Amino acid sequence: MYEAVYAHPDGESTASRVATAAGRYGYDGIVVRGLDASPDYDRLRDELDVDFVDAVEIDAPDPERASGAVGNYRPQRELLILRGGTNALNRFAVEQPRIDVLSRPMHGHGNFNHVLAKAARDNGVRIEFDLGPVLRSNGGTRVQALSDLRKLRELVEYYDAPYVVSARPRSHLELRAPRELAGLGEVIGFDREQVLDGLREWDRLAARNRERMSESFIAPGVERGKYEKDD
Amino acid sequence: MKHLPKHLRPRWRYLAVEIEAWPDASLNRGAFQRELWYAAQNLIGDSGSADADLTVLGFDSADGVAETIVRARRGTVDDARAAIACIDELGSDPVGVRVRGVSGTVRACSERYLHGRAGISEERDVVFENESRTAAVRNSLLDVRGPDGFTGATQLDFE
Repeated sequence: MYEAVYAHPDGESTASRVATAAGRYGYDGIVVRGLDASPDYDRLRDELDVDFVDAVEIDAPDPERASGAVGNYRPQRELLILRGGTNALNRFAVEQPRIDVLSRPMHGHGNFNHVLAKAARDNGVRIEFDLGPVLRSNGGTRVQALSDLRKLRELVEYYDAPYVVSARPRSHLELRAPRELAGLGEVIGFDREQVLDGLREWDRLAARNRERMSESFIAPGVERGKYEKDD
Repeated sequence: MKHLPKHLRPRWRYLAVEIEAWPDASLNRGAFQRELWYAAQNLIGDSGSADADLTVLGFDSADGVAETIVRARRGTVDDARAAIACIDELGSDPVGVRVRGVSGTVRACSERYLHGRAGISEERDVVFENESRTAAVRNSLLDVRGPDGFTGATQLDFE
Protein backbone atom coordinates (compact mmCIF):
# COMPACT_ATOMS: atom_id res chain seq x y z
CA MET A 1 0.00 0.00 0.00
CA TYR A 2 1.24 3.45 -0.92
CA GLU A 3 0.22 6.91 0.22
CA ALA A 4 0.58 10.00 -1.99
CA VAL A 5 2.16 12.81 0.02
CA TYR A 6 3.54 16.32 -0.34
CA ALA A 7 7.20 16.68 0.58
CA HIS A 8 9.28 19.73 1.45
CA PRO A 9 9.17 22.40 -0.05
CA ASP A 10 5.53 21.63 -1.01
CA GLY A 11 4.83 20.23 2.45
CA GLU A 12 6.29 20.62 5.91
CA SER A 13 8.46 17.49 6.06
CA THR A 14 11.11 16.19 3.74
CA ALA A 15 10.46 13.10 1.63
CA SER A 16 12.78 11.00 3.79
CA ARG A 17 10.95 12.01 6.99
CA VAL A 18 7.50 11.20 5.58
CA ALA A 19 8.85 7.92 4.21
CA THR A 20 10.30 6.93 7.60
CA ALA A 21 6.92 7.54 9.20
CA ALA A 22 5.11 5.76 6.36
CA GLY A 23 7.33 2.71 6.83
CA ARG A 24 6.42 2.51 10.50
CA TYR A 25 2.73 3.02 9.69
CA GLY A 26 2.69 -0.03 7.44
CA TYR A 27 2.99 1.48 3.97
CA ASP A 28 5.28 -0.09 1.37
CA GLY A 29 6.14 3.24 -0.17
CA ILE A 30 5.16 6.80 -0.86
CA VAL A 31 4.19 8.66 -3.99
CA VAL A 32 5.78 12.11 -3.86
CA ARG A 33 3.37 14.62 -5.35
CA GLY A 34 6.08 16.88 -6.69
CA LEU A 35 5.20 20.46 -7.47
CA ASP A 36 8.57 21.91 -6.46
CA ALA A 37 9.92 18.95 -4.49
CA SER A 38 12.62 16.96 -6.24
CA PRO A 39 14.51 14.80 -3.75
CA ASP A 40 17.34 12.49 -4.80
CA TYR A 41 15.17 9.40 -5.34
CA ASP A 42 17.93 6.92 -6.16
CA ARG A 43 19.80 7.66 -2.96
CA LEU A 44 16.66 7.59 -0.80
CA ARG A 45 15.56 4.25 -2.26
CA ASP A 46 18.98 2.82 -1.43
CA GLU A 47 19.03 4.17 2.12
CA LEU A 48 15.46 3.40 3.25
CA ASP A 49 13.32 0.27 3.06
CA VAL A 50 10.47 2.34 1.68
CA ASP A 51 9.84 2.76 -2.03
CA PHE A 52 9.57 6.24 -3.59
CA VAL A 53 7.50 6.99 -6.67
CA ASP A 54 8.65 10.03 -8.60
CA ALA A 55 5.32 11.71 -9.36
CA VAL A 56 4.26 15.17 -10.39
CA GLU A 57 1.06 16.94 -9.41
CA ILE A 58 0.05 19.43 -12.07
CA ASP A 59 -1.62 22.49 -10.62
CA ALA A 60 -2.83 24.50 -13.61
CA PRO A 61 -5.50 27.20 -13.73
CA ASP A 62 -7.09 25.97 -16.98
CA PRO A 63 -7.01 23.00 -19.39
CA GLU A 64 -4.80 24.79 -21.96
CA ARG A 65 -1.95 25.23 -19.53
CA ALA A 66 -2.57 21.81 -17.96
CA SER A 67 -2.23 20.23 -21.40
CA GLY A 68 1.21 21.78 -21.90
CA ALA A 69 2.35 20.53 -18.50
CA VAL A 70 1.04 17.01 -19.21
CA GLY A 71 3.08 16.86 -22.41
CA ASN A 72 6.16 18.12 -20.59
CA TYR A 73 6.09 15.87 -17.57
CA ARG A 74 4.70 12.60 -19.00
CA PRO A 75 8.04 11.34 -20.34
CA GLN A 76 9.99 12.44 -17.24
CA ARG A 77 7.97 11.23 -14.27
CA GLU A 78 6.70 7.85 -13.11
CA LEU A 79 3.23 9.07 -12.22
CA LEU A 80 1.18 12.01 -13.37
CA ILE A 81 -1.47 13.54 -11.13
CA LEU A 82 -3.67 16.42 -12.20
CA ARG A 83 -5.17 18.60 -9.50
CA GLY A 84 -8.84 19.05 -10.35
CA GLY A 85 -11.30 21.31 -8.62
CA THR A 86 -13.02 23.10 -11.49
CA ASN A 87 -15.43 21.59 -13.96
CA ALA A 88 -13.19 22.42 -16.91
CA LEU A 89 -10.14 20.74 -15.35
CA ASN A 90 -12.10 17.68 -14.24
CA ARG A 91 -13.48 17.27 -17.75
CA PHE A 92 -10.03 17.71 -19.27
CA ALA A 93 -8.45 15.16 -16.92
CA VAL A 94 -10.92 12.32 -17.44
CA GLU A 95 -10.62 12.65 -21.22
CA GLN A 96 -6.82 12.32 -21.20
CA PRO A 97 -5.51 8.73 -21.09
CA ARG A 98 -2.06 10.25 -20.48
CA ILE A 99 -3.15 11.36 -17.00
CA ASP A 100 -2.97 8.72 -14.27
CA VAL A 101 -4.92 10.34 -11.43
CA LEU A 102 -7.45 13.14 -11.14
CA SER A 103 -6.87 14.58 -7.67
CA ARG A 104 -9.60 16.13 -5.45
CA PRO A 105 -12.23 16.58 -8.19
CA MET A 106 -14.84 17.89 -5.73
CA HIS A 107 -12.66 20.58 -4.19
CA GLY A 108 -13.91 24.18 -4.39
CA HIS A 109 -16.39 24.62 -7.23
CA GLY A 110 -15.52 21.31 -8.88
CA ASN A 111 -18.26 18.78 -9.50
CA PHE A 112 -18.61 15.34 -10.99
CA ASN A 113 -21.29 13.55 -12.99
CA HIS A 114 -22.10 10.41 -14.92
CA VAL A 115 -20.48 11.69 -18.14
CA LEU A 116 -17.16 12.25 -16.40
CA ALA A 117 -17.38 8.90 -14.58
CA LYS A 118 -17.87 7.06 -17.89
CA ALA A 119 -15.02 8.97 -19.53
CA ALA A 120 -12.74 8.20 -16.57
CA ARG A 121 -13.52 4.49 -16.88
CA ASP A 122 -12.95 4.46 -20.65
CA ASN A 123 -9.67 6.36 -20.41
CA GLY A 124 -8.41 4.61 -17.27
CA VAL A 125 -8.04 7.83 -15.29
CA ARG A 126 -8.10 7.11 -11.54
CA ILE A 127 -10.46 9.28 -9.53
CA GLU A 128 -9.05 10.24 -6.13
CA PHE A 129 -11.11 10.02 -2.96
CA ASP A 130 -9.61 12.77 -0.83
CA LEU A 131 -10.03 11.92 2.87
CA GLY A 132 -8.07 15.02 3.94
CA PRO A 133 -11.01 17.30 4.73
CA VAL A 134 -12.73 14.50 6.68
CA LEU A 135 -9.62 14.06 8.82
CA ARG A 136 -8.62 17.67 9.26
CA SER A 137 -11.63 19.95 9.10
CA ASN A 138 -14.85 20.21 11.05
CA GLY A 139 -18.30 21.74 11.00
CA GLY A 140 -19.89 22.80 7.71
CA THR A 141 -16.80 22.28 5.55
CA ARG A 142 -16.57 18.72 6.74
CA VAL A 143 -20.25 17.99 6.15
CA GLN A 144 -19.85 19.37 2.62
CA ALA A 145 -16.75 17.24 2.05
CA LEU A 146 -18.59 14.14 3.28
CA SER A 147 -21.57 14.68 1.02
CA ASP A 148 -19.24 15.32 -1.93
CA LEU A 149 -17.41 12.08 -1.17
CA ARG A 150 -20.71 10.22 -1.09
CA LYS A 151 -21.76 11.57 -4.47
CA LEU A 152 -18.39 10.72 -5.97
CA ARG A 153 -18.48 7.24 -4.49
CA GLU A 154 -21.92 6.48 -5.84
CA LEU A 155 -20.88 7.52 -9.35
CA VAL A 156 -17.59 5.65 -9.22
CA GLU A 157 -19.30 2.49 -7.96
CA TYR A 158 -22.10 2.61 -10.51
CA TYR A 159 -19.84 3.08 -13.53
CA ASP A 160 -17.04 0.95 -12.11
CA ALA A 161 -14.51 3.73 -12.66
CA PRO A 162 -10.97 3.18 -11.32
CA TYR A 163 -10.09 5.08 -8.14
CA VAL A 164 -7.39 5.77 -5.59
CA VAL A 165 -7.66 6.80 -1.94
CA SER A 166 -5.41 9.30 -0.20
CA ALA A 167 -5.41 11.55 2.86
CA ARG A 168 -3.17 14.04 0.99
CA PRO A 169 -0.83 14.59 3.95
CA ARG A 170 1.40 17.69 3.91
CA SER A 171 3.70 16.45 6.70
CA HIS A 172 4.55 13.27 8.57
CA LEU A 173 2.05 14.37 11.23
CA GLU A 174 -0.87 14.36 8.81
CA LEU A 175 -0.11 10.81 7.69
CA ARG A 176 -2.55 8.14 8.90
CA ALA A 177 -2.08 4.36 8.88
CA PRO A 178 -4.01 2.21 6.37
CA ARG A 179 -6.11 0.55 9.09
CA GLU A 180 -7.15 3.91 10.47
CA LEU A 181 -8.18 5.09 7.01
CA ALA A 182 -10.10 1.84 6.50
CA GLY A 183 -11.87 2.33 9.84
CA LEU A 184 -12.72 5.90 8.92
CA GLY A 185 -13.92 4.80 5.49
CA GLU A 186 -16.28 2.32 7.09
CA VAL A 187 -17.83 5.03 9.25
CA ILE A 188 -18.42 7.34 6.30
CA GLY A 189 -19.96 4.72 4.02
CA PHE A 190 -17.08 3.04 2.20
CA ASP A 191 -16.26 -0.65 2.36
CA ARG A 192 -13.19 -1.51 4.32
CA GLU A 193 -11.74 -3.33 1.31
CA GLN A 194 -12.64 -0.45 -0.96
CA VAL A 195 -10.40 1.94 0.97
CA LEU A 196 -7.50 -0.52 1.17
CA ASP A 197 -7.89 -1.25 -2.53
CA GLY A 198 -7.71 2.46 -3.25
CA LEU A 199 -4.39 2.60 -1.41
CA ARG A 200 -3.11 -0.47 -3.29
CA GLU A 201 -4.06 1.11 -6.60
CA TRP A 202 -1.09 3.50 -6.22
CA ASP A 203 1.33 0.51 -6.27
CA ARG A 204 -0.37 -0.97 -9.30
CA LEU A 205 -0.18 2.34 -11.16
CA ALA A 206 3.48 2.83 -10.26
CA ALA A 207 4.38 -0.73 -11.32
CA ARG A 208 2.51 -0.37 -14.61
CA ASN A 209 4.16 2.95 -15.45
CA ARG A 210 7.62 1.69 -14.53
CA GLU A 211 7.16 -1.24 -16.84
CA ARG A 212 6.07 1.12 -19.61
CA MET A 213 9.07 3.36 -19.05
CA SER A 214 11.53 0.48 -19.13
CA GLU A 215 13.60 0.14 -22.26
CA SER A 216 12.21 -3.23 -23.31
CA PHE A 217 8.63 -1.94 -23.50
CA ILE A 218 7.22 -1.14 -26.92
CA ALA A 219 3.42 -1.38 -26.58
CA PRO A 220 1.12 -3.27 -24.20
CA GLY A 221 1.91 -6.95 -24.80
CA VAL A 222 4.87 -6.16 -27.06
CA GLU A 223 8.31 -6.21 -25.54
CA ARG A 224 11.84 -6.16 -26.82
CA GLY A 225 13.39 -9.47 -25.87
CA LYS A 226 15.65 -12.22 -27.11
CA TYR A 227 15.24 -12.99 -30.77
CA GLU A 228 16.89 -15.29 -33.27
CA LYS A 229 19.12 -13.90 -35.96
CA ASP A 230 18.18 -15.08 -39.42
CA ASP A 231 21.05 -14.11 -41.64
CA MET B 1 -22.88 1.24 44.64
CA LYS B 2 -22.16 -2.45 44.62
CA HIS B 3 -20.25 -3.36 41.49
CA LEU B 4 -21.77 -5.57 38.84
CA PRO B 5 -21.28 -9.32 38.77
CA LYS B 6 -18.56 -10.27 36.36
CA HIS B 7 -20.77 -11.58 33.56
CA LEU B 8 -22.71 -8.29 33.44
CA ARG B 9 -19.69 -5.99 33.31
CA PRO B 10 -18.87 -4.40 29.96
CA ARG B 11 -16.09 -5.99 27.92
CA TRP B 12 -13.35 -3.59 26.95
CA ARG B 13 -10.65 -3.36 24.36
CA TYR B 14 -7.52 -1.29 24.97
CA LEU B 15 -5.86 0.59 22.11
CA ALA B 16 -2.21 1.53 22.37
CA VAL B 17 -1.91 4.94 20.72
CA GLU B 18 1.24 6.77 19.75
CA ILE B 19 1.17 10.57 19.41
CA GLU B 20 3.81 12.63 17.68
CA ALA B 21 4.13 16.43 17.49
CA TRP B 22 6.64 19.19 16.89
CA PRO B 23 9.14 19.50 19.75
CA ASP B 24 7.60 22.65 21.24
CA ALA B 25 4.14 21.08 21.67
CA SER B 26 2.77 20.39 25.12
CA LEU B 27 1.02 17.03 25.14
CA ASN B 28 -1.14 16.16 28.11
CA ARG B 29 -3.84 13.72 28.99
CA GLY B 30 -6.62 16.29 29.49
CA ALA B 31 -6.22 17.85 26.07
CA PHE B 32 -6.06 14.46 24.39
CA GLN B 33 -9.21 13.22 26.16
CA ARG B 34 -11.07 16.39 25.16
CA GLU B 35 -10.02 16.11 21.51
CA LEU B 36 -10.90 12.42 21.49
CA TRP B 37 -14.42 13.14 22.74
CA TYR B 38 -14.87 15.94 20.20
CA ALA B 39 -13.57 13.77 17.39
CA ALA B 40 -15.87 10.89 18.35
CA GLN B 41 -18.89 13.12 18.76
CA ASN B 42 -18.31 14.85 15.42
CA LEU B 43 -17.69 11.60 13.57
CA ILE B 44 -20.01 8.98 15.08
CA GLY B 45 -22.46 11.21 16.93
CA ASP B 46 -23.72 11.19 20.49
CA SER B 47 -25.13 7.68 20.39
CA GLY B 48 -22.02 6.21 18.80
CA SER B 49 -19.79 8.01 21.31
CA ALA B 50 -21.84 6.70 24.19
CA ASP B 51 -21.56 3.17 22.80
CA ALA B 52 -17.81 3.38 22.31
CA ASP B 53 -17.33 5.10 25.68
CA LEU B 54 -13.81 6.23 24.79
CA THR B 55 -11.63 6.91 27.81
CA VAL B 56 -7.95 7.79 27.97
CA LEU B 57 -6.23 5.71 30.64
CA GLY B 58 -2.47 6.15 30.83
CA PHE B 59 -0.62 9.04 29.25
CA ASP B 60 3.13 9.16 29.04
CA SER B 61 4.71 12.08 27.21
CA ALA B 62 8.18 13.49 26.67
CA ASP B 63 9.36 16.23 24.29
CA GLY B 64 6.90 15.94 21.47
CA VAL B 65 6.11 12.23 21.61
CA ALA B 66 3.53 10.50 23.78
CA GLU B 67 2.13 7.03 24.33
CA THR B 68 -1.28 6.40 25.71
CA ILE B 69 -3.94 3.75 26.19
CA VAL B 70 -7.48 4.39 25.01
CA ARG B 71 -10.27 2.20 26.32
CA ALA B 72 -13.16 1.34 24.01
CA ARG B 73 -16.09 -1.01 24.39
CA ARG B 74 -15.60 -4.36 22.65
CA GLY B 75 -17.10 -4.28 19.15
CA THR B 76 -16.49 -0.57 18.65
CA VAL B 77 -12.77 -0.77 17.98
CA ASP B 78 -13.12 0.27 14.34
CA ASP B 79 -15.16 3.32 15.29
CA ALA B 80 -12.55 4.14 17.90
CA ARG B 81 -9.78 3.88 15.31
CA ALA B 82 -11.67 6.20 13.01
CA ALA B 83 -12.25 8.75 15.77
CA ILE B 84 -8.59 8.62 16.80
CA ALA B 85 -7.51 9.13 13.19
CA CYS B 86 -9.57 12.34 13.08
CA ILE B 87 -7.56 13.96 15.86
CA ASP B 88 -5.29 16.40 14.04
CA GLU B 89 -4.55 18.95 16.77
CA LEU B 90 -4.16 18.98 20.53
CA GLY B 91 -5.05 22.52 21.54
CA SER B 92 -3.35 24.29 18.65
CA ASP B 93 -0.44 21.89 18.17
CA PRO B 94 -0.71 19.67 15.09
CA VAL B 95 -0.26 16.00 15.99
CA GLY B 96 0.15 12.70 14.21
CA VAL B 97 -1.58 9.70 15.81
CA ARG B 98 -1.34 5.99 15.17
CA VAL B 99 -2.87 2.95 16.81
CA ARG B 100 -0.03 0.53 17.51
CA GLY B 101 -2.22 -2.34 18.56
CA VAL B 102 -5.28 -3.55 20.43
CA SER B 103 -5.41 -5.80 23.49
CA GLY B 104 -7.99 -7.23 25.85
CA THR B 105 -6.27 -6.09 29.04
CA VAL B 106 -4.39 -2.96 30.06
CA ARG B 107 -1.45 -5.03 31.09
CA ALA B 108 -1.12 -6.91 27.83
CA CYS B 109 -1.56 -3.64 25.97
CA SER B 110 1.24 -1.83 27.74
CA GLU B 111 3.58 -4.82 27.75
CA ARG B 112 3.15 -5.53 24.09
CA TYR B 113 2.86 -2.14 22.47
CA LEU B 114 4.21 0.55 24.74
CA HIS B 115 7.92 0.58 25.08
CA GLY B 116 8.81 4.24 25.46
CA ARG B 117 10.22 5.88 22.38
CA ALA B 118 13.24 8.02 22.95
CA GLY B 119 12.40 11.66 23.56
CA ILE B 120 14.42 14.61 22.27
CA SER B 121 18.01 13.79 22.95
CA GLU B 122 19.72 17.01 21.94
CA GLU B 123 19.59 20.32 20.11
CA ARG B 124 22.00 20.81 17.26
CA ASP B 125 22.89 23.50 14.74
CA VAL B 126 22.38 22.39 11.16
CA VAL B 127 22.56 23.92 7.71
CA PHE B 128 19.18 23.67 6.02
CA GLU B 129 18.48 25.37 2.69
CA ASN B 130 21.81 27.16 2.97
CA GLU B 131 20.89 28.74 6.30
CA SER B 132 22.02 27.96 9.79
CA ARG B 133 19.14 26.65 11.91
CA THR B 134 18.68 24.81 15.19
CA ALA B 135 17.17 21.37 15.12
CA ALA B 136 15.77 19.05 17.76
CA VAL B 137 17.31 15.64 17.20
CA ARG B 138 15.65 12.33 18.12
CA ASN B 139 17.51 9.24 16.93
CA SER B 140 17.90 9.93 13.23
CA LEU B 141 14.91 12.29 13.05
CA LEU B 142 15.38 16.04 13.06
CA ASP B 143 12.83 18.82 13.52
CA VAL B 144 14.38 21.96 12.05
CA ARG B 145 13.22 25.24 13.56
CA GLY B 146 12.46 27.85 10.90
CA PRO B 147 10.96 31.33 10.77
CA ASP B 148 7.46 29.96 10.20
CA GLY B 149 7.32 26.71 12.13
CA PHE B 150 9.19 23.46 12.02
CA THR B 151 10.26 21.30 9.11
CA GLY B 152 10.50 17.55 9.58
CA ALA B 153 13.69 15.98 8.24
CA THR B 154 15.97 13.00 8.79
CA GLN B 155 19.70 12.52 9.04
CA LEU B 156 19.71 11.61 5.33
CA ASP B 157 18.87 15.20 4.40
CA PHE B 158 22.13 16.44 5.90
CA GLU B 159 24.60 14.01 4.36
